[in-house]
Amino acid sequence: MKHQLLFVEDGIAIIRLKGELDHHATQTIRDEISQSLYRGTLRAIVWNLKELHFMDSAGIGLILGRMRDFVPSNGKTVILYPSETMKKIFQYSGLGSYVWQTTEEETIAELGGIFNGK
Amino acid sequence: MENEMTLSFIAISENEGLARMVMTSFIASLDPTIDELAEFKTIVSEAVTNAIIHGYEEDGEGIVTIRAKRSGREITMTIRDEGRGISNVEQAMEPLYTSKPERERSGMGFTIMESFADHLSVWSEPQKGTAITFTKEFLPIQSNFVLGER
Repeated sequence: MKHQLLFVEDGIAIIRLKGELDHHATQTIRDEISQSLYRGTLRAIVWNLKELHFMDSAGIGLILGRMRDFVPSNGKTVILYPSETMKKIFQYSGLGSYVWQTTEEETIAELGGIFNGK
Repeated sequence: MENEMTLSFIAISENEGLARMVMTSFIASLDPTIDELAEFKTIVSEAVTNAIIHGYEEDGEGIVTIRAKRSGREITMTIRDEGRGISNVEQAMEPLYTSKPERERSGMGFTIMESFADHLSVWSEPQKGTAITFTKEFLPIQSNFVLGER
Protein backbone atom coordinates (compact mmCIF):
# COMPACT_ATOMS: atom_id res chain seq x y z
CA MET A 1 0.00 0.00 0.00
CA LYS A 2 1.43 3.29 -1.07
CA HIS A 3 0.21 6.79 -0.65
CA GLN A 4 1.41 10.24 -1.41
CA LEU A 5 0.53 13.28 0.61
CA LEU A 6 0.74 16.77 -0.83
CA PHE A 7 -0.01 20.08 0.74
CA VAL A 8 -1.54 22.93 -1.09
CA GLU A 9 -1.21 26.37 0.38
CA ASP A 10 -3.77 27.42 2.87
CA GLY A 11 -4.61 24.21 4.70
CA ILE A 12 -5.62 21.83 1.93
CA ALA A 13 -4.13 18.33 2.05
CA ILE A 14 -4.27 15.97 -0.90
CA ILE A 15 -3.85 12.26 -0.24
CA ARG A 16 -3.29 10.07 -3.30
CA LEU A 17 -3.86 6.42 -2.45
CA LYS A 18 -2.38 3.64 -4.56
CA GLY A 19 -2.82 -0.13 -4.64
CA GLU A 20 -5.26 -1.94 -2.36
CA LEU A 21 -6.83 -0.37 0.72
CA ASP A 22 -8.06 -2.99 3.18
CA HIS A 23 -7.87 -3.42 6.95
CA HIS A 24 -4.27 -4.63 6.65
CA ALA A 25 -3.21 -1.57 4.64
CA THR A 26 -4.97 0.93 6.90
CA GLN A 27 -2.98 -0.42 9.85
CA THR A 28 0.24 0.60 8.14
CA ILE A 29 -0.77 3.94 6.62
CA ARG A 30 -3.16 5.40 9.20
CA ASP A 31 -0.41 6.59 11.58
CA GLU A 32 1.77 7.85 8.75
CA ILE A 33 -1.08 9.92 7.35
CA SER A 34 -2.15 11.19 10.75
CA GLN A 35 1.37 12.26 11.68
CA SER A 36 1.71 14.20 8.44
CA LEU A 37 -1.49 16.13 8.82
CA TYR A 38 -1.50 19.31 10.83
CA ARG A 39 -4.00 18.94 13.57
CA GLY A 40 -6.48 21.76 13.69
CA THR A 41 -5.14 23.83 10.81
CA LEU A 42 -6.60 21.96 7.86
CA ARG A 43 -9.49 23.36 5.86
CA ALA A 44 -9.89 20.37 3.63
CA ILE A 45 -8.68 16.87 2.89
CA VAL A 46 -8.89 15.69 -0.72
CA TRP A 47 -8.71 11.92 -1.23
CA ASN A 48 -7.60 11.07 -4.77
CA LEU A 49 -8.45 7.43 -5.51
CA LYS A 50 -7.46 7.41 -9.18
CA GLU A 51 -4.71 4.82 -8.65
CA LEU A 52 -6.51 2.85 -5.95
CA HIS A 53 -7.37 -0.59 -7.33
CA PHE A 54 -9.36 -1.93 -4.40
CA MET A 55 -11.09 -0.60 -1.31
CA ASP A 56 -13.42 -2.18 1.25
CA SER A 57 -15.07 -0.74 4.36
CA ALA A 58 -11.65 -0.19 5.94
CA GLY A 59 -11.38 2.80 3.58
CA ILE A 60 -14.57 4.23 5.05
CA GLY A 61 -13.07 3.91 8.54
CA LEU A 62 -9.87 5.63 7.41
CA ILE A 63 -11.68 8.57 5.79
CA LEU A 64 -14.20 9.02 8.62
CA GLY A 65 -11.40 8.87 11.20
CA ARG A 66 -9.39 11.61 9.47
CA MET A 67 -12.53 13.77 9.09
CA ARG A 68 -13.12 13.47 12.81
CA ASP A 69 -9.52 14.19 13.81
CA PHE A 70 -8.35 16.83 11.37
CA VAL A 71 -11.13 18.64 9.64
CA PRO A 72 -12.92 21.29 11.70
CA SER A 73 -16.69 21.32 11.51
CA ASN A 74 -16.74 23.87 8.69
CA GLY A 75 -13.93 22.09 6.82
CA LYS A 76 -14.39 19.90 3.78
CA THR A 77 -13.67 16.35 2.77
CA VAL A 78 -13.58 15.61 -0.94
CA ILE A 79 -13.30 12.19 -2.61
CA LEU A 80 -12.08 12.06 -6.22
CA TYR A 81 -12.08 9.29 -8.83
CA PRO A 82 -13.69 6.39 -6.94
CA SER A 83 -14.43 3.28 -9.04
CA GLU A 84 -18.09 2.32 -9.60
CA THR A 85 -17.87 -0.22 -6.76
CA MET A 86 -16.21 2.25 -4.40
CA LYS A 87 -18.92 4.80 -5.27
CA LYS A 88 -21.54 2.32 -4.08
CA ILE A 89 -19.61 1.71 -0.85
CA PHE A 90 -19.50 5.48 -0.21
CA GLN A 91 -23.22 5.77 -0.92
CA TYR A 92 -24.14 2.95 1.49
CA SER A 93 -21.97 4.60 4.15
CA GLY A 94 -23.49 8.06 3.78
CA LEU A 95 -20.38 9.52 2.16
CA GLY A 96 -21.84 9.75 -1.35
CA SER A 97 -22.15 13.53 -1.17
CA TYR A 98 -18.39 13.88 -0.60
CA VAL A 99 -17.62 12.47 -4.04
CA TRP A 100 -16.88 15.25 -6.52
CA GLN A 101 -16.79 14.85 -10.31
CA THR A 102 -13.87 17.28 -10.67
CA THR A 103 -10.15 16.94 -11.36
CA GLU A 104 -7.63 17.56 -8.60
CA GLU A 105 -6.83 21.04 -9.93
CA GLU A 106 -10.48 21.99 -10.33
CA THR A 107 -11.14 20.80 -6.79
CA ILE A 108 -8.35 22.94 -5.37
CA ALA A 109 -9.53 25.96 -7.34
CA GLU A 110 -13.05 25.36 -6.02
CA LEU A 111 -11.73 25.13 -2.47
CA GLY A 112 -9.84 28.38 -2.98
CA GLY A 113 -6.30 27.08 -2.78
CA ILE A 114 -3.25 27.41 -4.96
CA PHE A 115 -1.83 24.24 -6.44
CA ASN A 116 1.95 23.94 -6.22
CA GLY A 117 2.49 20.19 -6.13
CA LYS A 118 2.87 17.83 -9.01
CA MET B 1 -18.76 -26.32 -15.44
CA GLU B 2 -18.15 -27.11 -11.78
CA ASN B 3 -15.27 -26.68 -9.38
CA GLU B 4 -14.71 -26.71 -5.65
CA MET B 5 -11.92 -25.55 -3.35
CA THR B 6 -10.95 -25.07 0.26
CA LEU B 7 -8.45 -22.53 1.59
CA SER B 8 -7.29 -22.23 5.20
CA PHE B 9 -4.97 -19.66 6.75
CA ILE B 10 -4.09 -18.21 10.16
CA ALA B 11 -5.75 -15.07 11.48
CA ILE B 12 -3.34 -12.30 10.51
CA SER B 13 -4.38 -9.28 8.47
CA GLU B 14 -1.85 -9.96 5.72
CA ASN B 15 -4.05 -12.90 4.66
CA GLU B 16 -6.94 -10.60 3.67
CA GLY B 17 -5.04 -9.89 0.45
CA LEU B 18 -4.17 -13.57 0.03
CA ALA B 19 -7.85 -14.55 0.24
CA ARG B 20 -8.85 -11.94 -2.37
CA MET B 21 -6.09 -13.09 -4.72
CA VAL B 22 -6.93 -16.79 -4.47
CA MET B 23 -10.66 -16.18 -4.89
CA THR B 24 -10.01 -13.91 -7.88
CA SER B 25 -8.15 -16.81 -9.52
CA PHE B 26 -10.94 -19.23 -8.65
CA ILE B 27 -13.53 -17.19 -10.56
CA ALA B 28 -11.23 -16.13 -13.41
CA SER B 29 -12.72 -18.63 -15.87
CA LEU B 30 -16.09 -16.87 -15.52
CA ASP B 31 -14.49 -13.82 -17.12
CA PRO B 32 -16.23 -11.40 -14.75
CA THR B 33 -16.69 -7.71 -15.55
CA ILE B 34 -14.52 -5.22 -13.64
CA ASP B 35 -17.46 -4.28 -11.43
CA GLU B 36 -18.51 -7.89 -10.76
CA LEU B 37 -14.96 -8.77 -9.78
CA ALA B 38 -14.62 -5.70 -7.53
CA GLU B 39 -17.90 -6.47 -5.77
CA PHE B 40 -16.93 -10.12 -5.31
CA LYS B 41 -13.51 -9.21 -3.90
CA THR B 42 -15.15 -6.73 -1.53
CA ILE B 43 -17.47 -9.40 -0.10
CA VAL B 44 -14.52 -11.78 0.38
CA SER B 45 -12.46 -9.05 2.01
CA GLU B 46 -15.21 -7.99 4.43
CA ALA B 47 -15.99 -11.56 5.51
CA VAL B 48 -12.33 -12.56 5.95
CA THR B 49 -11.55 -9.34 7.85
CA ASN B 50 -14.49 -10.03 10.18
CA ALA B 51 -13.16 -13.50 10.92
CA ILE B 52 -9.63 -12.23 11.54
CA ILE B 53 -10.52 -9.21 13.68
CA HIS B 54 -13.73 -10.20 15.43
CA GLY B 55 -13.45 -13.98 15.45
CA TYR B 56 -9.85 -14.22 16.56
CA GLU B 57 -8.73 -10.65 17.40
CA GLU B 58 -5.77 -11.20 15.05
CA ASP B 59 -4.21 -13.81 17.32
CA GLY B 60 -2.21 -15.43 14.52
CA GLU B 61 -3.33 -18.86 15.68
CA GLY B 62 -6.98 -19.24 14.80
CA ILE B 63 -7.74 -20.74 11.42
CA VAL B 64 -10.04 -19.11 8.86
CA THR B 65 -11.43 -21.51 6.28
CA ILE B 66 -12.98 -20.60 2.95
CA ARG B 67 -14.95 -23.20 1.02
CA ALA B 68 -16.04 -22.23 -2.44
CA LYS B 69 -18.04 -23.87 -5.15
CA ARG B 70 -18.53 -22.83 -8.73
CA SER B 71 -21.61 -24.15 -10.44
CA GLY B 72 -22.29 -22.77 -13.88
CA ARG B 73 -22.02 -19.00 -13.43
CA GLU B 74 -22.87 -19.05 -9.73
CA ILE B 75 -20.34 -18.97 -6.89
CA THR B 76 -21.25 -20.16 -3.41
CA MET B 77 -18.77 -19.42 -0.67
CA THR B 78 -18.57 -19.99 3.07
CA ILE B 79 -16.07 -18.10 5.24
CA ARG B 80 -15.78 -19.79 8.60
CA ASP B 81 -13.92 -19.22 11.85
CA GLU B 82 -13.99 -21.05 15.15
CA GLY B 83 -13.49 -17.92 17.20
CA ARG B 84 -15.50 -16.03 19.75
CA GLY B 85 -18.70 -15.79 17.71
CA ILE B 86 -21.31 -13.02 17.60
CA SER B 87 -23.86 -12.96 20.42
CA ASN B 88 -26.34 -10.75 18.55
CA VAL B 89 -26.17 -11.31 14.78
CA GLU B 90 -29.10 -8.99 14.06
CA GLN B 91 -27.37 -6.10 15.80
CA ALA B 92 -24.04 -6.88 14.12
CA MET B 93 -25.73 -6.64 10.72
CA GLU B 94 -27.21 -3.19 11.34
CA PRO B 95 -25.56 -0.47 9.25
CA LEU B 96 -22.92 1.49 11.19
CA TYR B 97 -22.94 -0.88 14.15
CA THR B 98 -19.44 -1.84 15.26
CA SER B 99 -18.18 -3.54 18.37
CA LYS B 100 -14.80 -1.94 17.77
CA PRO B 101 -15.25 1.82 17.22
CA GLU B 102 -11.80 2.46 18.70
CA ARG B 103 -10.31 0.49 15.82
CA GLU B 104 -11.97 2.75 13.25
CA ARG B 105 -14.15 -0.03 11.96
CA SER B 106 -16.94 1.64 10.04
CA GLY B 107 -19.64 -0.89 10.89
CA MET B 108 -20.52 -1.19 7.20
CA GLY B 109 -19.13 -4.67 6.54
CA PHE B 110 -22.38 -6.62 6.63
CA THR B 111 -24.33 -3.92 4.77
CA ILE B 112 -21.76 -3.97 1.96
CA MET B 113 -21.68 -7.78 1.84
CA GLU B 114 -25.47 -7.98 1.68
CA SER B 115 -25.63 -5.34 -1.05
CA PHE B 116 -23.03 -6.99 -3.29
CA ALA B 117 -24.11 -10.62 -2.79
CA ASP B 118 -27.25 -12.14 -4.32
CA HIS B 119 -27.91 -14.02 -1.10
CA LEU B 120 -26.13 -13.96 2.25
CA SER B 121 -26.70 -15.80 5.50
CA VAL B 122 -24.85 -15.73 8.81
CA TRP B 123 -24.54 -18.48 11.39
CA SER B 124 -22.86 -17.68 14.67
CA GLU B 125 -22.67 -19.00 18.18
CA PRO B 126 -20.71 -17.44 21.05
CA GLN B 127 -17.39 -19.24 21.69
CA LYS B 128 -18.02 -21.55 18.74
CA GLY B 129 -17.49 -19.33 15.77
CA THR B 130 -19.08 -17.65 12.79
CA ALA B 131 -19.85 -18.76 9.25
CA ILE B 132 -20.88 -16.37 6.49
CA THR B 133 -22.30 -17.99 3.35
CA PHE B 134 -23.06 -16.06 0.21
CA THR B 135 -23.89 -16.67 -3.42
CA LYS B 136 -23.19 -14.43 -6.37
CA GLU B 137 -24.18 -15.05 -9.93
CA PHE B 138 -22.10 -13.66 -12.75
CA LEU B 139 -23.76 -12.40 -15.90
CA PRO B 140 -23.24 -14.27 -19.16
CA ILE B 141 -20.17 -13.18 -21.07
CA GLN B 142 -20.98 -10.43 -23.54
CA SER B 143 -19.28 -11.28 -26.76
CA ASN B 144 -18.11 -8.49 -29.01
CA PHE B 145 -17.94 -10.83 -31.95
CA VAL B 146 -20.89 -11.93 -33.98
CA LEU B 147 -20.55 -15.02 -36.10
CA GLY B 148 -21.63 -14.15 -39.57
CA GLU B 149 -22.42 -16.33 -42.54
CA ARG B 150 -20.01 -16.40 -45.38
